[in-house]
Amino acid sequence: MATTLSITPTRFIASSGKLDSQTRYIRRKEILPDLKFVTGKNMDVSGGGLRYVDPNGTNRDDGVYNGSFSAGAGVGIKV
Amino acid sequence: MSGFFADSGRIRITDGASGSEEVVFDTEEGMPHIVGTANINNVGVDFTNLTQTQSYAFTDYCSSNTCIGFEWNFVTNYTPPNWFYDSRYVFGTWNYERTYSYFQGWTYQRVFTSGFTEYFRVYEPGFYTYDREYVTVFDACCVSDVFSYSINANESSNTVDIATLPTDEDGNTVPVDFIVVQATGSRTRNGKDPRFNQALPSTVPTKTFSFQGSVLLESSGKANGSSFMRRIMSVFVSGNKLKLTSQQSVASLARGAYDSAFPHAAEARSTYNFNFKVFFGRFKS
Repeated sequence: MATTLSITPTRFIASSGKLDSQTRYIRRKEILPDLKFVTGKNMDVSGGGLRYVDPNGTNRDDGVYNGSFSAGAGVGIKV
Repeated sequence: MSGFFADSGRIRITDGASGSEEVVFDTEEGMPHIVGTANINNVGVDFTNLTQTQSYAFTDYCSSNTCIGFEWNFVTNYTPPNWFYDSRYVFGTWNYERTYSYFQGWTYQRVFTSGFTEYFRVYEPGFYTYDREYVTVFDACCVSDVFSYSINANESSNTVDIATLPTDEDGNTVPVDFIVVQATGSRTRNGKDPRFNQALPSTVPTKTFSFQGSVLLESSGKANGSSFMRRIMSVFVSGNKLKLTSQQSVASLARGAYDSAFPHAAEARSTYNFNFKVFFGRFKS
C-alpha cells in the first residue's frame, strides 16, 4: 500500500510520493533564478536579418537585422 | 534534514543540511502548473516565392573580330559665305608740275597729295570641303544590351488565431503566464534557394520538438556569410487567443554576373504543416 504521508528527519513524502522533499520542484523566483521561461514571441526578422531576444531580455542580432523589435525578459524559475 | 511547514493557506517543504536548507516547495511562491492543453492539428505555414528585378546595365558592342568591320566614311562640310570688313592705307605722293611762261620760261613745283586710309567690305563666298574618315563599324548582330538582376527585398508577416485560451467553469478565460509548445510537422513544399537548384535547409526535425516563443525555420546567406533571408514562426498568447505568426524577411540580393537571372526565385516558396500540443501554464492560481 502506498504511503500517504511519511515524515522522517531527512525526508518528507506526501500523497504517495507526489510531493517529496527530495524532488526538485520548479517555482517562480525572480531573484537569482536558475533559468527563465520565455513567455512570448522572442524572435523577429527584418532586412533579411534576425533578432533573437534571449531569456534575459538581451537582443542578439546577426549583424544584418535592422528592425526595432523588443521583448521582455523571461520569467525567473528556481529549481 | 528536511522540513515540513503547514500554516493557514501555506505548505512549505525544505531539504538539505541544517543551516543550509533549500526550499523545494512553497505554495506562497509561484508554482508552475498546467491549466489546460490544446491539440491543434494541420496548421499551415506558407512562405511566398521570391521575386527579382531586371535592370539595364550597359550596351555590349562586342569584342569578336567576326562582328567588327572598318570602312571609309565620306564627309562633306559646307562653309557658309561671309562678309568681313577690311582697310588699307594709301600713302601720300609727290607730283612734279611744270609751267611755261613767256617771260620766265619753264618753272617747276612739287605738289604733295596726302595719304589716306581706305575702308571697304569684302564678301567671301561659301564653299564645300570633302573629307573621309576611317571608322569602326559594329555589326548589329553582335550589339546587345546587358542586364543585371537582383532579388527584391520583401518583408511579410501573417498572423492567425489557432486556439482559444482555456476557460473556467464560468466560461471566463483563464489567465496564462506561459505556454509550452510541442510540435510535430514537416515541410510540405521544399522552397529552393533562388540561386541554386537545391532546397533551403529547414530546421524542422522529423521528431517532435518543443519550443517557447519563436522558431527559426529557414535562412539563406550571401557569399560572405551574411544573412539575406530569414523565415521564422512564433506561437504566443494575445488576448484570449493563441496565435501563430509566420514572418519572412528578404534583403535585396544582387547577382554576381551580368545577364544571369536567379533561376529558382519562383521556386522559393516553402510550406509547412504542423500539429501542436500546447500546454497553458500558470505560476499561481
